[in-house]
Amino acid sequence: MSRMHSALLGLVGLLMVAGPALASVDDALSFALEAASPYLKEGFTVREDQSGGDLAVGERRAVRYQLFKGNEYWFWAAVDVTKAKFHLRVVDGEGNALEAERWERGRMAGVRVVPPTTGSYFVVFEILDSPEERTGWAVVYGFR
Amino acid sequence: MDLKVCIGCALIGLAVSGSVAAPGTADRIQGEKLPATVVDDVVVPVPGEVFLVLEKLSAPNWRALLRTGEPRAAGDRARTALLLGTVIADGFIAVQAQDREEVKRIGKTVLALSSAIGVRKSVVARSNSIIEAADAQAWPRVRSELDKALQDVQAAMTELHDEQLAQLVSLGGWLRGTEVLTTVVGSAFSADGAELLHQPALVDYFSGRIAGMDSRLKGNPLVSEIAGKLQEIRPLVAVENGRRISREDVERLRTISSDLLRSILAKSAA
Repeated sequence: MSRMHSALLGLVGLLMVAGPALASVDDALSFALEAASPYLKEGFTVREDQSGGDLAVGERRAVRYQLFKGNEYWFWAAVDVTKAKFHLRVVDGEGNALEAERWERGRMAGVRVVPPTTGSYFVVFEILDSPEERTGWAVVYGFR
Repeated sequence: MDLKVCIGCALIGLAVSGSVAAPGTADRIQGEKLPATVVDDVVVPVPGEVFLVLEKLSAPNWRALLRTGEPRAAGDRARTALLLGTVIADGFIAVQAQDREEVKRIGKTVLALSSAIGVRKSVVARSNSIIEAADAQAWPRVRSELDKALQDVQAAMTELHDEQLAQLVSLGGWLRGTEVLTTVVGSAFSADGAELLHQPALVDYFSGRIAGMDSRLKGNPLVSEIAGKLQEIRPLVAVENGRRISREDVERLRTISSDLLRSILAKSAA
């Protein structure tokens, strides 16, 4: 098999694997942005830097954020599987929860944080249950 | 698959926007309440986030913080990428100043610098949106468009296999934001203002990114200078063991960031 042939097969393989996974992240991201949209009217600026991926049941992911005391933040998360259950937390470096307010509606959730100090915090996302082997997820955030 | 590790997918035009994790940066939350939680990235804030707090703390004279002169692309792409980051940060200052003409000028400069590093096509529409939003004095929208411009530039660079250069755009923005933050806090020192500089995770993140760059980029004199200065900055922004960021620390940080900005601007200002 020629090198070119191998490369093309590899690319096709990558497309076959990545295509569905990205589609699912795309869906989750759309729902997360939908969750965020009402907050634009309340003066929140929604960041373009999103986190996401796909996880199996029981897996969790944490992403570090630099937050500034004096700002108010909302983190919005969503999954691409209707019946999936997930948990979204925002914690400090010791794992202490920081939520000032939270809501969960179907495949979307939101957490409000008023950081007590300036520093780095962690957004922790966990899939608790899902009918699918992998569940696409996304988190976006906004500040004001 | 993580959104932040979709580099290969971005190359084939399928990726969702998002920052990309550097290999080997994973660590764990230190506490015992969430053991074994993998942390694989840092989301770098836009300068507008910290400027918003400054506005609440002291209502600075934002116009006085705007730079004069027209930054021009350098032959050196690393310098141009850093410069582009500083100019996007300037856009956030102009938003705080609600200076329509300055935002429009910055929108055009973003486009010129993007052209110089080969990502003009991805930024044209965004540059126009920035200018339109400024004309409408829709400041939250301008802030959002500047953020989108940053993401567009970085995504386009990643597509061009220039991911490391994209990191320099973020770094340039952070340096300019730090210069402004230290200037404002230094001019009317307060503990609350100084606390905004508590950003060791970001310093570590940028240091790690530079350390992971290829030898050609890492050996660039400007990048090398910044890497050295980040080592000086790191202890100044730490607040471990009850230490607080002092007036002297703020002044030292201001000097370092201003010097670095001067180096970035050298040979590029008209």
